This record gives sequence, structure tokens and C-alpha cells, in this order.
Amino acid sequence: MGNLTDKYCIVGVGETPHMRPSNRTTLSMACEAVKKAMANAGLEPRDIDGMTSYQAGDSTSSNHVATALGIRLNYSLDIFGGGSSTEALIAHAVGLLEGGYCKTIVIFRSMNGRSGRRMGGQAPSGPVPPTQAAGDQQFYMHWGWTTPAQWFGMSAMRYLRDSGATTKTFAEVAVAHRYHASLNPKAIMRAPITIEDHQRSRWVSKPLRLLDCCLETDVSAAIIITSRERAFDLKQPPVFIMGGTARTMAPSPAWNYSRPEIHYVAGNYGRNRLFGMAGISQKDVDIISCYDAFTFTTTIQLEAYGFCGKGEAKDFVKGGRLQIDHELPSNLSGGHLSEGYTHGISMVIENVRQLRHRADDACPRWEEGIHTYDRKAGCRQVKKARIAACLGWGTEATSSSAILRGIIG
Amino acid sequence: MPGTIDYSRITIVPDFDTAEWWMGTKQHKYLVRQCKSCGHKWFPPFPACNKCTSMDLTWFETAGKGVIHSYIVVTQPILSAFIETVPYVVALIELDDCHETDGALVRVAGVLLDDEEAVAMGLPVEVVFQQTNEPNIVIPRWKICGTAENTWKFVE
Ligand SMILES: [Zn+2]
Repeated sequence: MGNLTDKYCIVGVGETPHMRPSNRTTLSMACEAVKKAMANAGLEPRDIDGMTSYQAGDSTSSNHVATALGIRLNYSLDIFGGGSSTEALIAHAVGLLEGGYCKTIVIFRSMNGRSGRRMGGQAPSGPVPPTQAAGDQQFYMHWGWTTPAQWFGMSAMRYLRDSGATTKTFAEVAVAHRYHASLNPKAIMRAPITIEDHQRSRWVSKPLRLLDCCLETDVSAAIIITSRERAFDLKQPPVFIMGGTARTMAPSPAWNYSRPEIHYVAGNYGRNRLFGMAGISQKDVDIISCYDAFTFTTTIQLEAYGFCGKGEAKDFVKGGRLQIDHELPSNLSGGHLSEGYTHGISMVIENVRQLRHRADDACPRWEEGIHTYDRKAGCRQVKKARIAACLGWGTEATSSSAILRGIIG
Repeated sequence: MPGTIDYSRITIVPDFDTAEWWMGTKQHKYLVRQCKSCGHKWFPPFPACNKCTSMDLTWFETAGKGVIHSYIVVTQPILSAFIETVPYVVALIELDDCHETDGALVRVAGVLLDDEEAVAMGLPVEVVFQQTNEPNIVIPRWKICGTAENTWKFVE
């Protein structure tokens, strides 16, 4: 972003509960999330004039949400996409604000990801009834290779061979994110787990077990971005956008599974843009959200974004390194594995709360930024969290990211 | 051997980019896309050459032989067509006759006729065409057809 670093801020965040099922429309949930984000920022409907969302043909639109809430828009756009769209839309928002298309912009995702269209590929009640294989699906369905767990599993399997890692590497990610969920009252799965629990959980698609997979959820979540000047007048400590990438790809595009290394993922090609734009290095990062549709996607992006070397994640994740009070706490809300699946936006929201020093935990005065740091008493605020890296994942072939900075701690 | 795949539960809808490929399978040919301008080969059959952007394309008939590059073992059926099939192995197969001098290569996926016990990365496989109950649709499957040194197997 260069001269745009720190010029725009995330000023409001909000979400519905994670529900299974919601028994609600995606419009109703989106309205709730946007209202909560506005209240969180101290903004009124008249203050908002931009809105974007991402979806997979499974959601409402920005225009509907704005109309329902009485928000008059100067800019709206609903894009197609899942994981890594949040960070891409943050980059997009910075461009729009800089270009003067709007002044304060909402980004939301609303999905009945459990009771409606399930990204895991099943119908709401189980295996998909007779269906058509059209378009891309012609070359996946008859191979019985139709879901993210199956696609990314192919890369994960080859990764295990090439790196010498075992599924205990994946287990370390599951254990860390679940520990954080145990400190998050909003999370669906809060009972701590062990490496052994992970190893005993049933196979979904080898090499991935049940505890390698995220929790499909009905949920909506929203964030609000505006200029630094406006941000200082609002209710929360501002969180500055230092830099980012938006759906970067490899330099020689080809179908991922015909690329030389199927697990050399897009983050490898985005990381220098990301850290170069933000003007920091990996060592400056206090906390990360590392997209955890599966434990594997977190594992491989630790390498891709340069937090450890290629093939080194198996050693890097040992000793609880990804857990709070250790070197690189990851997905402090519990992430998609344990809090609930939102296609990435909830991970950005958690980083914002951490950087404000206002993690919504069991501490009675968290809203004032006062925490006990007593994990046994349910505090999940990271001490002195100042810089967060948000590492989105679309597929092996595409990735978006953002680096955020707080002013507290 | 994995259980039956109920192809009647997946209606394949060939289109402008793929119809000839499906006709190829009926004639027991495993085709990949090839660029008439530069000779590059790829799959799935995207409608332009990603090396030179040409859209003047032909098909290359492969020998239907390759090496297992990676695989997964599906234990939970997602499509109802595969309820009777689990557990089954989906293999990613690097085709023997699509290597280009600059390192470009073609991999394809398919359901193995072999069980998990037999599969390993590095093993050679060959295509077997399977007639479905829809007369116009023939599906390529793959079977292990030899041994190899330096194989790797997931044993957890
Ligand atoms: Zn060409």
C-alpha cells in the first residue's frame, strides 16, 4: 500500500451468534451483523455509504441489506467467493475510499452454511441426492472428488510425503485453536482437546480426520472501514490497515494439480507484496489468523507466508507455539475449526478485537480494555498484541492477506 | 475393490468445451487439450492455451498411463452416487506422455479400481473405461499396473 499504509482503519465489527441451524434468512442475519458493527463503531445508518459482500450464490445482497436498514449507498458490490474474500475486500475498500467512491464502507458475509448450502459439499441432511455435473464439476464429480476436504486433502497427502510431517503436525493446529475456543464464549466447540483426541477422531478423507475440519455454521459477520481521520472520532481504538494482498496467484498459472508442487500454495507468491507493503517482517507480527478451513490450510500457510521455512511447519508448531502466551498465537477466537465457519471474516474480527485490547472474553471489564490475562479465569486477550497478520485462503492457487496494527499495548 | 459407483445419480452435462472429450471416452480414448500453435497440453480442457493464449486447439490422445502423484482415501460419501463406494481412493495421476521440455506436465484424477491397501505414490497406473447405465457416458477409472521403487504410502 506504500503511502496508504495506516491511512484507513477498521472501526466497527459485529456478528450474529454461530447457529446450527439459524432458522433465519441470510438477509435477517446480515442486518443484525451490520447493526452490531455500526453500534460497535458508534455509527448511524446515515454515516454508511458503501457496502460490499461476498458469497457463493448462497446469500443476500448489499442492496437488500442497505434498503432494509435505511442506508443510502454510493457504492455497493457483491462478489463471488469464499475464503480469502474478506482480505480481498479490505484491499478493495481501501481503493474505493482513496478514490472517493464512498467514505465509510461495510463488508459482510451472511451464510446458512450449515442448514442451507454447505461448503463441505453435502446436502443439509446428508449425501447429495441425484445431481447434475455441469461446468467444472464434470471433471470432479465422476471422480468422487467434489469437496474442499477432498481437494486440499490431495495436496495435504503429498505434503506429508514431501515434508516428512505427520498428521500430528495437523493435530497441533487443532489443539491450539480449540484451546483458544475454550476462552471464547461465542465458540461452538469449547471443550479442550489433546493430540490423542485428534488422532482418535474418525477419518473424513485421508489424510484428514474429523478434527481437521471446520464447523459448518449459520452466521453473519460484518466489519466497517473508514479513514483514519474519522476513525479517531469513533467509539473504539482504531485498527490501522498496514497492507495486504488480494487474491494473488502463482506467476505461471496452471491448474493447481498440474503444478510442479501441488502444495506450494499462493501465499508463497503474496508474502513479499504483503510484508513489503506493510513495511514490516514476520518477526514483527504478534498474532495471526491463518485460515483454518482445515488444519492443513493453517499448516501450509505458516510456510507460505514465511513464518517458518519450507517443510519446517512440523517442527515450528511443536510446543504449543501457536497457542496464546506463546510465540505466534493463531486464530484466537478458535477459528473455523472451533468457533465456527464464516469464510474468513470472523478471523479478521478477532484480530481487530485483540488489537483493540478488547477481546470479548470472561473478563468483567473487557469492554474497557481491562483484562486479567488469567487463562484459567477465561481471559483470551493477548498481552501487548500490536500487529496482526490475517492470512486468507481461497484454494491452493489463490490467497489474500492483510496486516493490521493497533495502538494499544 | 471399492463398491459400485451409482452413475445414474450424476447426470453429466457436456458443453462446448467438453463435448468432444466425452465422445473420446466413448471410444475409449483419454484425451487432453493441446494447442495447435505451440503444442502445449493441459487438462481439464480450458478453452485457451495458458502458454500462448491461442484458442486454436486440438486434442492429444494419451496412452492412458501414468504414475500416482498423490491420493486421498474417501471414507465419508458426499454425493449419493458414492454411498456404496466408500472407502475409495481418488488418485492424482501424472500422465507419462504429456511432459514438456520446460517442465510442464499434465495430471488427471480418477477413482482407482484398487483398494487403499494397494495404493502408493509412485506406482504406475493405466486407464480402464467403465460404461455407465447412460449409453452416452463412459467414465475413465484407473488401476495399478506394476511396481516401482521409491514409493510412498500413508500408513497412519
Ligand atoms: Zn499455445
